[in-house]
Amino acid sequence: MIEAHDLELIYNDGTVAVKPFDITIGAGELVYITGASGSGKTSLLKLLIGSEYPTGGTLNILGEPIKKGNSKSIHKIRHKIGPIFQEFRLIKGKTSMDNVKLGMRFIGMTPSQIEEEARLVLIKVGLEDKLNIKVDNLSWGECQRVAIARAVARKPSLILADEPTGNLDRNNAIKMLELLGSFRTKETAVIMTTHATHLIEGHAHATYIHMDRGRVNIERQGKSY
Amino acid sequence: MKTFIYNFRYFIKESIDIFRLNLISNIFSLLSTGLIFFVLTLIIAGWNISSSVTEAIKGESEISVYFQEGLTESKIIDLTNSITNVRGVESVNLVNEDEAYGRMEKVLGDDAQVLSFFEDNPFDAFLEVGIELTEIESIVDQISQMAYVDLVRDNKEVLDRLSHMSDVLNLVSYLALTAVGITTLVIMSHIIRQGIYHHREQINTLELLGAPKYFIALPFYIEGISMTLIGGLLSLVLSHFVINEIYIQVSGPLPFIPMPNQGIVMQNLIIVILGLSLVLGFFGSAFGVSSSRYKE
Repeated sequence: MIEAHDLELIYNDGTVAVKPFDITIGAGELVYITGASGSGKTSLLKLLIGSEYPTGGTLNILGEPIKKGNSKSIHKIRHKIGPIFQEFRLIKGKTSMDNVKLGMRFIGMTPSQIEEEARLVLIKVGLEDKLNIKVDNLSWGECQRVAIARAVARKPSLILADEPTGNLDRNNAIKMLELLGSFRTKETAVIMTTHATHLIEGHAHATYIHMDRGRVNIERQGKSY
Repeated sequence: MKTFIYNFRYFIKESIDIFRLNLISNIFSLLSTGLIFFVLTLIIAGWNISSSVTEAIKGESEISVYFQEGLTESKIIDLTNSITNVRGVESVNLVNEDEAYGRMEKVLGDDAQVLSFFEDNPFDAFLEVGIELTEIESIVDQISQMAYVDLVRDNKEVLDRLSHMSDVLNLVSYLALTAVGITTLVIMSHIIRQGIYHHREQINTLELLGAPKYFIALPFYIEGISMTLIGGLLSLVLSHFVINEIYIQVSGPLPFIPMPNQGIVMQNLIIVILGLSLVLGFFGSAFGVSSSRYKE
């Protein structure tokens, strides 16, 4: 699913965001990217979604190389990725349903499939009574669930979540991790960044990518799904 | 194509949302576009009418041949035959003194009473010669040299003036078309750029979700094309009233001006203006979309 060899990212201003490392992530894996703020977690996630290009080494996602000038492949890959952004990136003025449906409109689903899938996923994340409420009127936590629903409804091969526990208290953070973990299947890998290491320690069958000022340390526990 | 059909309603709804986001500004832009098209519509209508009138007059070109007084009937027939044989002459018709008087009465209308001040009929008989306009100079030259011919009166000067007017209107139309084209492109691309700027976050999110470029751009194209089309329709409605009024004003007091059929003029305007709106809307939007930078 993801193959990186000597993968490196250096920004134009010379900042080394990700130092060279190798990794292979298979289908159905659960991967936590941990580290303090500024350690390079989000930069790595940006590489995985194709919004940054490797400045060194190679990166293949779902069989397509991520490199500059390969925007067609990147668009293709993005259809199979369910991203959950740190700031959610929901469309203001639109309802929860509209936001979830928006992510599915260009991946070949029919209008009835889109409608049905959006409804089901919103119900699954506990927003059955907020389907037609504008996201402007939802709480922070509810918005996060809409963002998760939008990512998951696309039936992606890879779910990428950026700091999903960021603003949550301990109990809600655990619930959020459980919810995201529940979307991991044989076909779907879940990769999330978090600095709440105390909540994920000792989790069986997970891969941990610890980051420290761009340096990557990989630790695997158990097997994939 | 499948994506387009599945999402047709979404695209329309999005373009309405884009329009509503900057409602007042967009309404003013719409009115401006309508008024710009209105000016263009009037110029094109004027050009169309003047061309038709010139062509109609050219098609009915006639010259009047006055012959010596007291000419016998057989000599008039001889002269008629000689004129008929001139190349470019299409018809020769004798207008006697009484008919000439009657025609002038018709032309003068209510003012015809002025003719009663004459003791005798002041008009001479003449030959009305229908000609091909392109041959006018040689025809006039040949007839002038014929025996018994006193005077050849042609309306070449009037026709030349009409042709010149038509040429000027032609030029003005092209200039107006260019000016309207550029103005509409600038207005549309500005509106689209504004829309894209206000939707930059949404566009960026859609890109990250893998939306194709056309999927992102289509609502903006629909907005641009709809606005120019509505502007075009607005101008056509206004023009309809104005042209109707012009026809009423012209056909009453100036019935001898061969105005083209009003329905055909309007029909031509509808085709030209809506076609132009469509093209300008498309290219204005394309320019707006391609010149926008919405990356965060």
